[in-house]
Amino acid sequence: MRIEKCWFCSSSIYPGHGIQFVRNDAKIFRFCRSKCHKNFKMKRNPRKVKWTKAYRRVHGKDMTQDSTFELERKRNRPERYDRNVAENTLKAIKKIDKVRVAREARHHAQRMKGNKVSEMKAAVKELEQSIHMVKAPIALKEDPSLTLPKLKVKVVQPAQAEDQMEE
Amino acid sequence: MIQPQTLLNVADNSGARELMCIRILGASNRRYAHIGDVIVAVIKEAVPNMPLERSEVIRAVIVRTCKELKRENGMRIRYDDNAAVVIDQEGNPKGTRVLVQSPGIERIEFHKNRLISSRSIIVVDEIMIE
Repeated sequence: MRIEKCWFCSSSIYPGHGIQFVRNDAKIFRFCRSKCHKNFKMKRNPRKVKWTKAYRRVHGKDMTQDSTFELERKRNRPERYDRNVAENTLKAIKKIDKVRVAREARHHAQRMKGNKVSEMKAAVKELEQSIHMVKAPIALKEDPSLTLPKLKVKVVQPAQAEDQMEE
Repeated sequence: MIQPQTLLNVADNSGARELMCIRILGASNRRYAHIGDVIVAVIKEAVPNMPLERSEVIRAVIVRTCKELKRENGMRIRYDDNAAVVIDQEGNPKGTRVLVQSPGIERIEFHKNRLISSRSIIVVDEIMIE
């Protein structure tokens, strides 16, 4: 039993799921669910379909090259069962997963790094250009800074309402 | 899901190119045939100068269907076309080479254990060990 990768979205295919399509040139396409299968039949290119792993890798949204991927490569030679090897492999899998997840998080943080700065810049620009939307021109004349005007709001006393309810 | 009037490609070198299913063997009112079932077919197109000729009625076993083959372990396998291999009354293949893309082949072997006999050489493009 082997957990395959979906040809379209690159997710894992567990036993009992999905369809395998054998083309007449003997190439086998495995799909994890009918969504991927139908997209394939529509002749869509996974590199252009946004939710697939192929797209994310091509467009730099996800990590492409990392040493943790080398450890997960497909091996076709069956290994003789050795209890120690099996135990160590299971431990290693957990550790490698942790490392990989940490690296992916770092990659994501790196990708999102410039966001706050650019958001601030955009906000400052918008304030300069659209100050007339929130501050009347007369107020702007009196106080030419870009600070928003302070509004005085009257607070209705809730105690009176409660007394009425009690009665 | 092969039924009468279905055209099938031929996956061996027996001389036929295209078959049309006439009848599905096994039960009196059997509707559909799947991979591994034997059908009676008529040859619609044949390679010239071969023992099999056009409009000959022969038997064939289905080796590929566009409808998925369902395995007990939950695997579903679909091919690109419908194809059959020409056999004789006993179940021996008429051709000498069978061209099958492998994932369905174990099932044929199970059903007609004489199909994959010493008489036929199997030319497969990819062998998958399940």
